Amino acid sequence: MKDTVSVSEDESNLLVLIIDTNPFVWAKAAASPGGLSFDQALSQILVFINAHLALKHDNRLAVIASHVGVSKFLYPITEANTHLSEEMDSTNDSNMYQTFRVVNQHVTAGAINLLKNVDTQITTLDQSNSMDAGALSMAMCYINRLLRADDGNHIKPRILVITLSSDSPLQYVAIMNCIFSAQKASIPIDVCKIFGDETVFLQQAAHITNGIYLKLEKPKGFLQYLMLTFLPDRYLRTTLCLPGQDQVDFRAACFCHKKIVDIGYVCSVCLSIFCEIMPQCSTCRTSFGQSSLMPTGGLGIVNGVQPYSITPYTI
Amino acid sequence: MANLNPPVDIDDEAHVNDQQVGYAWEDYKRSWDELQEDADGSLKSIVEKQINRGKRKRHLRDTSTIQRGILRHMFIVIDLSEVMLEKDLRPSRLELTLSYTEQFIQEYFDQNPISQVGIIVTKDGIAQKLTELSGNPMDHIRALQNKKNTETEGEPSLQNALDLARSTLIYVPAHGSREILVIFGSLSTCDPDNIYNTIDQLVKDSIRVSVVGLAAEVQICTYGVVLNEVHFKELLFEIIPPPAITSAQYKSELIMMGFPTHVTRKTPTQCMCHGKSTLGGYLCPRCQSTICELPSECDLCGLTLVSSPHLARSYHHLFPVGNFVEVPWSSASSTECFSCLLTFLSIPSTRSNQQLPEISSGRYKCLECNNHFCIDCDVFIHDVLHNCPGCLSKSESSKNKLVSSSSTPSSSIQQQTNGDSSHNSKGKNAIKNRNES
Repeated sequence: MKDTVSVSEDESNLLVLIIDTNPFVWAKAAASPGGLSFDQALSQILVFINAHLALKHDNRLAVIASHVGVSKFLYPITEANTHLSEEMDSTNDSNMYQTFRVVNQHVTAGAINLLKNVDTQITTLDQSNSMDAGALSMAMCYINRLLRADDGNHIKPRILVITLSSDSPLQYVAIMNCIFSAQKASIPIDVCKIFGDETVFLQQAAHITNGIYLKLEKPKGFLQYLMLTFLPDRYLRTTLCLPGQDQVDFRAACFCHKKIVDIGYVCSVCLSIFCEIMPQCSTCRTSFGQSSLMPTGGLGIVNGVQPYSITPYTI
Repeated sequence: MANLNPPVDIDDEAHVNDQQVGYAWEDYKRSWDELQEDADGSLKSIVEKQINRGKRKRHLRDTSTIQRGILRHMFIVIDLSEVMLEKDLRPSRLELTLSYTEQFIQEYFDQNPISQVGIIVTKDGIAQKLTELSGNPMDHIRALQNKKNTETEGEPSLQNALDLARSTLIYVPAHGSREILVIFGSLSTCDPDNIYNTIDQLVKDSIRVSVVGLAAEVQICTYGVVLNEVHFKELLFEIIPPPAITSAQYKSELIMMGFPTHVTRKTPTQCMCHGKSTLGGYLCPRCQSTICELPSECDLCGLTLVSSPHLARSYHHLFPVGNFVEVPWSSASSTECFSCLLTFLSIPSTRSNQQLPEISSGRYKCLECNNHFCIDCDVFIHDVLHNCPGCLSKSESSKNKLVSSSSTPSSSIQQQTNGDSSHNSKGKNAIKNRNES
């Protein structure tokens, strides 16, 4: 699939960066052989951000942290919160490009603040869950606002999720909603998976929105992956050969045993998936009629009616 | 009209109310009366208020969870008689209808991914099936874009069109809804028989007919008549969200579905659906035949094939985001929109206290997480995103919300299904509420 929206060279790019700041998984990632610590990753991300801003003078940026139990904008930040980063303003290097300095300060200060304040609610939470759904929702709202203000359609947004955490099944519906609204607005969601198991949700996100899913083989080379894969804008992507996904798992997990099924039974009211026939839907409590379902399902008898034998079904 | 039963004539009550008010042309609005200068002599606040009201109108709807017929089967009947060439709607009735129908089909499949649509055209006293019931939006749009298919001629036949649609819809499985949407420009119809017999038949087969009239109302079914171009689109798009389940005939069932895997092969194989040779495709998990596109039904073994994102696309109908409430100035403490960082107006000083009720604070609050949002985000969240960023960004509330999202619908639906009679009346109430709002 090619990009459905026409993109041209002289358009400004809005990059919304969602960074997983979950300290628990970062600790695991740092401890693993050949791993990457959060400090190292953050400094490499800052280089990447600066490179993005340096590519074109009107390139835009937003950074959202997907933390344990909270998601928060790191950049841009509003006036009410500027004092946080002003405190940080110890280095005043006149040789540094002003925008870089502001961005770097805000992102670092925001990340430090998040990590400082985490200790309160940890015990109540599943430690591996970051708030990916919340961060994606905020990203979509922010993009929506900028696109609304942009008359000439010059802004071409994209989302890059830098993630380590595994999927959180609780967020499934919310993440899917984000994916579909991104697909509707033709916003690619790129996923950079630094460490840990594959995330099926984000894999589907990249596939559905026509983005890039990349699992790092060597986390130490994080910056190189960022620069070579995720820096090119949407215009350049049409001419580059970027890593793709060999296989996307579109099978579903049943609600009853969390088993991956390739043939399942779906409730016609709430579309819950089951791996075996049930008298009643466990999600919406609808009782199912005995009438129609033929479990062994010979050829042609699926729903108890003639399956379009009279009106041939065409795709 | 009195002998029509509710399934066909869902708007009947609302319509009776309308008649008591008077004819549409007797009731006119003097929009200039509402325009009044505020204390500063400016019109800005009142204009803003009207714009905001318009924005919010669409989504202040019933968000209570009701059972919805998510698996829909719909025939769109398009009138292709000569009157469609009238230019009272710009650029012409026909062109506007066609372009709106295209948008309708796209939006319909976006919100009802595993539903199906077919198109019927009627001209010269006959009805003709343009496309069969199918789940692929591009088929229909391509058919509509073909100029040959949309030549106008003679008079339409409503009865023939309805009969043709009915002849296909009666084979639809009982768990799917059966609907016909008629876009009718003509004031007359050229029918072979009494059309009331057809309508009775439709009622018996529980097929729901919605009509959008481009000219004036004709005493057959009640329906919406378009006032102008924008209203046409509104009427049409009202039909997109899946209908609440009302009829007792609707059976809930477990449907056997397959989740095919996508494969890419080195050697081409013949696909089951078109008979063309392809390299890639989806494999039916039961018979291993190759299918080009999802969602569809395996042409060999008849298994319904979907991918899990298709199912997930419908979930937001089941777990809607609650309506946000406007925040009064007294509690407008936030400085920016939670999700898009738009800076809000600051609280006006006491000097201009008089105009406080005039301008809204521009903040809208989610009742679950108490975060404030701007109006654009409010609209976006309810119309497109279907997620509350605030609820998802806070650990405690998000936990509650997600847990409740799986338990609330079950409890409410459970109430509805306790007995057939209560189920019915509740569903009807929900419909009534929707009509009133």
